[in-house]
Amino acid sequence: MILFLDGGGTLAARDVACEEIIRKHTQSEELISIKIEDNMDWDRVCRLLEDAHAIVLAADVYLDSVSSTVLRFLERVEQAVIGGESIGGRFYAILHTELYEGEHTSVAMEVLKNFCVHANIVWGRGLGIGGSKVETTVHRGSLWSIFNQGTADFMVNALQEQALFIRERVQGTDVYINPKEVSRRGYIRKKKKKMKKSNRVKIAQNM
Amino acid sequence: MKVIVHDLQEKSWQELGMKLLEKDIVISETGGCAGRDIEGLIASCDQLVLISRCVYGGFSPFVQGVLEKCKRRFGPYLEMRHGQTHYEVKSENRNVFGMVCCFYGDNITPREEQSARIQSVSDGISLQARGVKIVFYDTIDKLRQLNVVL
Repeated sequence: MILFLDGGGTLAARDVACEEIIRKHTQSEELISIKIEDNMDWDRVCRLLEDAHAIVLAADVYLDSVSSTVLRFLERVEQAVIGGESIGGRFYAILHTELYEGEHTSVAMEVLKNFCVHANIVWGRGLGIGGSKVETTVHRGSLWSIFNQGTADFMVNALQEQALFIRERVQGTDVYINPKEVSRRGYIRKKKKKMKKSNRVKIAQNM
Repeated sequence: MKVIVHDLQEKSWQELGMKLLEKDIVISETGGCAGRDIEGLIASCDQLVLISRCVYGGFSPFVQGVLEKCKRRFGPYLEMRHGQTHYEVKSENRNVFGMVCCFYGDNITPREEQSARIQSVSDGISLQARGVKIVFYDTIDKLRQLNVVL
């Protein structure tokens, strides 16, 4: 069983898309998804952590760290391990940032690796995705886009690759990606345009 | 004005005997920070002091939670700085305030220390601090030495 931990946050839609891709490429295996919240059914979480062959954490990165909710969750997992829980599954991470460079997630990735050392969990592989606000531009109308609505195409290959590592339970080198088909300045412009549009919609809705 | 964010128990905080001025502000887990305009405070301070337990080579959930509240201080827009994208900082307090990151914990590994250092510097760059000072203490008692640093 694969346990998908949804770290939530502002880019939560991306986590849902991640989950879909991982699910699609690990079809033969059951995938259980849980959202990380302050109030969770901890007995169920412990049971799932114990049964999982692979644990996948998808989360947003802000100011070089995963959210405080995710940090609290990780501390609780560590306490559960100290209390006798045994987690045999490998740990895989998919971290998103709104910033263009996927490397902005590298410090948070290091934090997750340190957590794995504390909780005696084997690290699998990390994928850091930059430019998470980029919209799908290519393959529009294709069958593929139906399965991956809302996911920028540059992420799809990287997520498929990550799914392969998860399916085969192998370790790999961490990878950081960014939307190469869009320049940094182009990405900044696109985001600005999108924000202005959404602000106009909000103003119109409030009138 | 100094803004101090810490995750210490009230007793441990009192024992530090930190010398504070009247206008200095302390944000703590026990003292609560609900309703406070944290990003506004950070935007107008001379020094931002973060006293945090070192959790996996980063800030503790409480301190990270306070930093998350600074989200509004950043514009929704991005800007280029040194060839990389960063959040655009709205405030006029750019490059004015100094940041002090103080980590404590008895089992901080070299790898965690390295990670905490990188995170501190990187956060300083994001918040556009004038400079970042990073210190580590292995016991809460040694945190008293922080009085010399500040």
